Amino acid sequence: MIIAERKPFAEIKAAVAPFEKILIVGCGTCVAVCLVGGEKEVGLLASQLKLAAGLEGRHLEVGEITVERQCDLEFIRPLCDFVADYDAIISMACGAGIQFLGELCYMRPIFPAVNTTFIGVNQEAGLYSERCLACNNCYLAITGGICPVTMCPKGLLNGPCGGTLNGRCEVDPDKECAWSQIYQRLEHQGRLELIKEILPLHPHDRRTTPGVVIHPAYKRRYGAHE
Amino acid sequence: MSRLNKALEAGKFPVVAELKPPKGINLDKMFSPVDFLKERVTAFSAPDNEHARLHLSSLAACRLLKEADLEPLLHLTCRDRNRLALESELLGAAALGIENVLVMSGDYPTLGDHPQAKPVYDADSVQLLQIARGLMAGHDSAGLPLDGAPNLFLGAVVIPEAEPQGPQLIKFEKKVAAGARFFVTPAVFDLEKLRSFRQVLASHPIKLLATIKVLGPEAVAQAREGRWRRVYSLPPEILGELAAPEAEEFFLKGAQIAGRLLKKVKDENLADGVYLKAQGRADLFTLVLEAAGL
Repeated sequence: MIIAERKPFAEIKAAVAPFEKILIVGCGTCVAVCLVGGEKEVGLLASQLKLAAGLEGRHLEVGEITVERQCDLEFIRPLCDFVADYDAIISMACGAGIQFLGELCYMRPIFPAVNTTFIGVNQEAGLYSERCLACNNCYLAITGGICPVTMCPKGLLNGPCGGTLNGRCEVDPDKECAWSQIYQRLEHQGRLELIKEILPLHPHDRRTTPGVVIHPAYKRRYGAHE
Repeated sequence: MSRLNKALEAGKFPVVAELKPPKGINLDKMFSPVDFLKERVTAFSAPDNEHARLHLSSLAACRLLKEADLEPLLHLTCRDRNRLALESELLGAAALGIENVLVMSGDYPTLGDHPQAKPVYDADSVQLLQIARGLMAGHDSAGLPLDGAPNLFLGAVVIPEAEPQGPQLIKFEKKVAAGARFFVTPAVFDLEKLRSFRQVLASHPIKLLATIKVLGPEAVAQAREGRWRRVYSLPPEILGELAAPEAEEFFLKGAQIAGRLLKKVKDENLADGVYLKAQGRADLFTLVLEAAGL
């Protein structure tokens, strides 16, 4: 899922300072699971903004709503009915959700309440860690199910750098060296042969942003080549 | 064939002295050891933004060495350049008469003085060796022909004390397959580890340059305080010898130890040559070489 972190309150407050009527839109999927942008967090931010405005003697009206997913038109289209009642929108979704909502409600300024951090896993309560950089060229079949592009800070494809020490990472010794992990896992599985071949240069042309994917079943609908 | 290549092939135990490109354009300090050393060493090397800290480029330093009729060893890291820039740098180096190239991944930017810089690593060191070998064969990494192919003597890094050793050995073998002809170790203080590693390398057609280093007080303070985070170990007896309170006295002691280690490496044939790091100081280089009888 997508992991995000809440922006500092001062930054959000400063961004929306010129507006008197604000709609905060939460997202009920990834950012709700990582406890930064779901219904509860929408309520918390609304209270913070109203309290701060009250202390400054400013009038501020804050609307709150949380949709299932801001990255899905099906769930955000109903917001069109009442967004026009507000001066500005704060989205608590990831960068994708914020942009999609902003695209739909383009007549109103939209502001992010979170920084989108990475694609990762919910490791334990409140502990999230990165697993995928969405490189569009998955190596996991070769590297024992551990991604060298993501789990090695340098994204090295052919083995560890010279800075790895006692199986720990040069960049952050609190983390294990991805290549030590890959080696151990493949050794355990008796599949070390897989990483003895030199992997060629990564095809970065497969990941030119912004990416677009058309499902094969829908190619005709979108006029794409079969 | 480069002088370094010839010296290694002839079994002459070449010494490569590491210079310190300045953080700026004042070259006096970097070149200060050169006059003292040029008759005693085979080549001078210039690191590429060592420790991810900004310095004058290795390419410029190597060209300046070449203009002084000295043998340069270019360092090229994968950290700061994509494949286009790496290839262009290699072609540029060859056109400037630089043949010896040491490739490496490069320390991560957050460990250096530009922590917010974008890390590149478009190629890793194995792939960079392949790229370089491709250039030598007359084509770029996209397979397109070159108008004039470079002649390069390619080297890479190997870590005798890597722990675990398995992943490093796989990478070492890939580097050999990708075209590395010589290897440079990190600093060696524990000769027993180098001895056993030399056996591992025996079956490969490569030349080994062991790094001998004059330690600074900061590194030793790290070891004493349990903050040692280097890919080479410091045996307790050497740590005990480096107990001098004054920095100058400390460096002199460090140079004596380095000289002693260097002599053993040569006498016991633990390497084919030496890569010498002496804080970029002429007096320390000289002390080490004299202590080693070189």
